[in-house]
Amino acid sequence: MSPRGPCSPSIPLPWAAALLLALGVERDLAQPEICVHCPGSVRNLSEVASYCKHTPELKLRARCCLNQEGAILGLDLQNCSLKDPGPNFSQAHTAVIIDLQANPLKDDLANAFRGFTQLQTLILPQDVNCPGGINAWNVVTSYPNYQTCQGQRDFCNSTGDTEICPENGSCVPDGPGLLQCICVDGFHGYKCMRQGSFSLLMFFGILGSTTLSISILLWGTQRRKAKAS
Amino acid sequence: MAWPDLFHRGALLSRLSHHHVAVFLLTFFSYSLLHASRKTFSNVKVSISKQWTPTALNRSVEPVEIWSRNHLFPGAEEATLFLGTLDTLFLFSYAVGLFISGIVGDRLNLRCVLSFGMCSSALVVFVFGTVTEWLHFYNKWLYCCLWIVNGLLQSTGWPCVVAVMGNWFGKAGRGVVFGLWSACASVGNILGACLASSVLQYGYEYAFLVTAAVQFAGGIVIFFGLLVSPEEIGLPGIEAEENFEEDSHRPLISGAENEDEYEANYSIQEGSTVTPIQAISFHQACCLPGVIPYSLAYACLKLVNYSFFFWLPFYLSNNFGWKEAEADKLSIWYDVGGIIGGTLQGFISDVLQKRAPVLALSLLLAIVSLVGYSRSPNDKSINALLMAVTGFFIGGPSNMISSAISADLGRQELIQGSSEALATVTGIVDGTGSIGAAVGQYLVSLIQDNLGWMWVFYFFILMTSCTVLFISPLIVRETCSLVQRRQARVLSE
Repeated sequence: MSPRGPCSPSIPLPWAAALLLALGVERDLAQPEICVHCPGSVRNLSEVASYCKHTPELKLRARCCLNQEGAILGLDLQNCSLKDPGPNFSQAHTAVIIDLQANPLKDDLANAFRGFTQLQTLILPQDVNCPGGINAWNVVTSYPNYQTCQGQRDFCNSTGDTEICPENGSCVPDGPGLLQCICVDGFHGYKCMRQGSFSLLMFFGILGSTTLSISILLWGTQRRKAKAS
Repeated sequence: MAWPDLFHRGALLSRLSHHHVAVFLLTFFSYSLLHASRKTFSNVKVSISKQWTPTALNRSVEPVEIWSRNHLFPGAEEATLFLGTLDTLFLFSYAVGLFISGIVGDRLNLRCVLSFGMCSSALVVFVFGTVTEWLHFYNKWLYCCLWIVNGLLQSTGWPCVVAVMGNWFGKAGRGVVFGLWSACASVGNILGACLASSVLQYGYEYAFLVTAAVQFAGGIVIFFGLLVSPEEIGLPGIEAEENFEEDSHRPLISGAENEDEYEANYSIQEGSTVTPIQAISFHQACCLPGVIPYSLAYACLKLVNYSFFFWLPFYLSNNFGWKEAEADKLSIWYDVGGIIGGTLQGFISDVLQKRAPVLALSLLLAIVSLVGYSRSPNDKSINALLMAVTGFFIGGPSNMISSAISADLGRQELIQGSSEALATVTGIVDGTGSIGAAVGQYLVSLIQDNLGWMWVFYFFILMTSCTVLFISPLIVRETCSLVQRRQARVLSE
């Protein structure tokens, strides 16, 4: 079982996944699970609230700030007694601003933020380091009760290593301090070794018709008069 | 003595029907396709070993599904070692298969055996390279088993095609026809390399798919188009034709000296001439004069010849520091030398009507050319020239033994008309040769590792000398009869 915070709904993970699939249509009306991960709504004076009110199209729902398509742009999970971000946390990968202060988080968040490429402001408890280290952020500021990590750096350019990715791979950022190698244009498959797609229909069409005609030709000229042995 | 021969050759050409042309091309391309699928395997080795291993970087690369999903081998080195093992397994099962399929080929219809061999081996290659990749099912034992089965099935090819060629082309022009025809292996190599490189970008599984599908199609064409022998459509067989010829066109390998030994055999078969053609046993085939000496000689010669095929590009890039692609291209000159050598020496042996003296002379020159090649300067054009010369003197005799001489042995007068021995004999000669080649691959890597390249060449020289040694009784006998014939001619004039 994956560890869950005390605020999480008490349905097991497979169930949640099944529900997610079954209610796929209604989901854009309902909030994503991560928004009701913990009771209450976005605090009025929090950074998330001010970000959300700044842009007129955005609306606050439970703990989230959603845009018109229902994507999470802001997430405020402060004071939720979270030991770790939980399994639904990746739903918030489109977030620009996340507030996790006043949670007893453990200090290994690096992989929790995989895919959070839009994240620009992250508010963490005082004792938790910014994911990816200080090199992954433009500004890291400490306050008495919390710290903020601001301005995600492009890790592909900042390492200085020109050959981060293997052959045919190109580096794209994958969250704070994280990167991934995707296949460059036109390449696909394991280790991006394949290029283009083979036309089975054409190949077998040509081969089949050639074989048929040569066989008929040779049967006619060679074997027609052959004695059955 | 050139006059009657030239006259005879003209007559030979006029006797060639469109059936001869069709048989020549069908057998040529069927063996080419078999060889092409072998070549494909060696050309996609790099891609396969990449597919079987995770990305070789000391840090992990995301996403794992793209870069490090497959863990059949931890690294490229282990994968290369496994691919080498597959080569060895293939060569051994191929050698064993040759002994069996020759026997099978003589007892069943050659056309059906050849067609079955091509189609079934195409299916095995398809499963090996394409199905396992499509299912993402990688298993070492499955690969080993499939490649052993492939070796067994592929071995049906050579004995059958040589037997069919032997049925259609008489001894008189056999040397030159077979010399030209034995270019099929080299053509197959080129064909395989072209097919593989043209579709490799879509993934290695398509290289296997294409060669397997073309080979399967070839099997179907063979089934519908190949005439196994002239008798099948009521044409006179080559023995019948040759019986009309003057007695100077006696078979090239005469069993006269050994007749006492084999009299028992001979009379048994003579008694059964009325019954339909009966295949001889494996034991009988081994006892035919010339079969064992030539088999042993071919084991030594094929060892040298195949070592050149397998190790030449590696030697060139290792010893001279030339690029691998360039070394691959350069090594074609050895093939070119072999084709020219085989055809020209076949022609000379047709004119002389003796094969062993030609072989002996060529092999002695091969020793000289090996010494020369081992001292080749670091210059590509000189090296290519020396390589072609070496190919001429080693590849030439090798092609001749495996095709023309095998056909001579399987059609010699001891068993003429009364039995089917061609495929069996070809299987024995080529099977022994393949065992030599398989052992050789191992020995060459061992010698090269421990003693260096110079000793590899000494080893080649030793093996070439052994070849001469094994056929020395035949050389002596045939040279004597040549001299006698010349004396008789001089006396009569």
